[in-house]
Amino acid sequence: MVAVKLIPHILSWAGIVLVLLRGFPGRRSVVTLTSISGFVIGVTGTFILFRSYPGTIPFGIVKSALGVSFLFLWGISVAVIYRSTGRGVSIFRGERLVNTSLCAGVVACLASMVAGAVCACRLPATDSTALTFILLALAAGALAYTLAYAALAFDKLLSPSYTVTLTGMLVAVVALLLCSSSSVLRLDLFSPLSMKVMKGVHDFVHQFMESILIPDHLFVRSYVWNYIGLLFGKEVGFWGGMVIWFTPAFLIALAIRFERLPSVAHIRQGAQRRTLLAAAIAKRRYRLVIPVLSVAVFAAAAYQSRFPSVEYWDPKPLPVTASPAGEIFIPKKGEIDLEDGKLHKYLFKQGGREARFFVLMTPEGRLTVDLDACAICKPDGYGQAEGSVICYYCKTLIPLDTVGKPGGCNPVPVAFTEKSDGVVIDGMALINSWGSTVQATARVKEGGK
Amino acid sequence: MVSAIIETSGLTRNYGDICALKPIDLIVPEGEWLSVMGHSGSGKSTLMNLVGGLDRPSNGSLRVGGEDLLALSEDGLARFRREFVGIIFQQHHLVPYLTAVENVMLAQYFHSVPDEAEARSALERVGLGHRLKNRPGELSGGEQQRVCIARAIINSPKLLLGDEPTGNLDHKSTVMVMELLKELRAEERFTVIMVTHNQEVAAWGDRTIYLDDGVLVREERMKS
Repeated sequence: MVAVKLIPHILSWAGIVLVLLRGFPGRRSVVTLTSISGFVIGVTGTFILFRSYPGTIPFGIVKSALGVSFLFLWGISVAVIYRSTGRGVSIFRGERLVNTSLCAGVVACLASMVAGAVCACRLPATDSTALTFILLALAAGALAYTLAYAALAFDKLLSPSYTVTLTGMLVAVVALLLCSSSSVLRLDLFSPLSMKVMKGVHDFVHQFMESILIPDHLFVRSYVWNYIGLLFGKEVGFWGGMVIWFTPAFLIALAIRFERLPSVAHIRQGAQRRTLLAAAIAKRRYRLVIPVLSVAVFAAAAYQSRFPSVEYWDPKPLPVTASPAGEIFIPKKGEIDLEDGKLHKYLFKQGGREARFFVLMTPEGRLTVDLDACAICKPDGYGQAEGSVICYYCKTLIPLDTVGKPGGCNPVPVAFTEKSDGVVIDGMALINSWGSTVQATARVKEGGK
Repeated sequence: MVSAIIETSGLTRNYGDICALKPIDLIVPEGEWLSVMGHSGSGKSTLMNLVGGLDRPSNGSLRVGGEDLLALSEDGLARFRREFVGIIFQQHHLVPYLTAVENVMLAQYFHSVPDEAEARSALERVGLGHRLKNRPGELSGGEQQRVCIARAIINSPKLLLGDEPTGNLDHKSTVMVMELLKELRAEERFTVIMVTHNQEVAAWGDRTIYLDDGVLVREERMKS
């Protein structure tokens, strides 16, 4: 089962090797060898990290590497589109360095390290023994060797016409890394990106627009709110995230599309002149293939992030009622074992109002009762996966240890009394808490946060 | 010494049981104007189609411009035709809904990329500067054939093939077209192979070969 889960990651890495082989055409041996080494280092290094720092630190390191690579891609894409306008950019003076074996090796090694680390993040936690470590390193090495040489053989089959620019190579490598990582919840970048965009937009509207619209500004009147409401729309974070997600690939594709054709004015014979032009146009078209494919890979990454294939523990809320005193009692041991470490959802209705909440025993043995909603997001509720609680709306992972603490995207805690045989919750307080939370995110009913 | 642009040895073409071209050995030096004569069904057009890469021989060897046409794939043959050969047919085969200049640009498009200025210039060279925007239906037979010539030479072919290009033209137009071809050949230095029934047209060439029932029966060198 683990092997099946690893297949997409390994194929992504093989794709990266193939792109690198195309991107550094004269450096096949260097790229192959450094890719294999990088992959093995990535897998074993991450394994060591997991053993040394249990918890989320290794995920954070790998995620940071992915984030930096995405930012780097952004920088390069802006620079190349700027350069395509005919202006020189000084950083491109280093292009001579890029075409060396050293650079090919470093790029292949780094990309493969990150790809290997993503693969290792997909492996289940194991107790470390020297034997496990050696077996893992050997398996990673054998796999990397086989796949790298398969990629090399495939590369030789491809027509030499399919050239890849350095920027095309970069966008493809980053796209494949992000696609590979987006299926690991803790490494996913797209959901946090959407989240940041949403928060950024909302903060901007609150902090900036309110200050100039209330009271009516000389030029900007408060009726502008009617239009600003769009910024609170259902999917502002998603669409904003999509723009940021796809822009580098589009910019690089545009820069290639606008590459200048060689000057042929000096060639007297028309047919020869046109042949050269046609060859240059065809070459440019072939160079567009990889960035355009990368757009599709970015789309796949966003899709995986939006619709993760992880199976959530998501029980149907059980209806509960309050006693005449207005108290809801939920037994610890009954049909449901509240102390099994799983999230248990309930639905309470009273006087036409309702509230959804859950009870959970944290790993440290603390019972917590929380609304199935947070103070920020649309109340889509929470599920449980991979040792975390996840917000269905923004896909934020909340470690089980922090559930029950207020703030951010955490579920809103509900006051309760723990007894030896169960928990007691004040029904009215619960309904009021739900009402004020959902009201606070009332705009969200139309969609956003 | 002038090198050969066309070399055939035992070149044969059969269509089922019918042998359209019996083994022919032929050498055409670069820059020569070769006229091919013979009556209908003698194998003239078959020979031209083979040399132009429009058809494949049944047997023998065929080298044109140093390329072994038998060894070329379909793509290779298409490239050969695109880059090496220009053809003028008796039936002009112009696209009726395109203007003269667009018809010439179409040939550029299939060769590489269209260039309207160059296409205009080619039509001006054949004396049709005033007919650029006319469609084939608005042109006389001679003018249409001149558009065909412009289309045939636009990609600077090394070999120009004419399959009875003046067959539909009156004497005056025939002379005009032949003079034009002569001028262009002097400028562009391409080799011409002209299939014709007409002795007068054949006389414009450097050499004439005669085919009869698929056999090369004789050849005649013209006086310059």
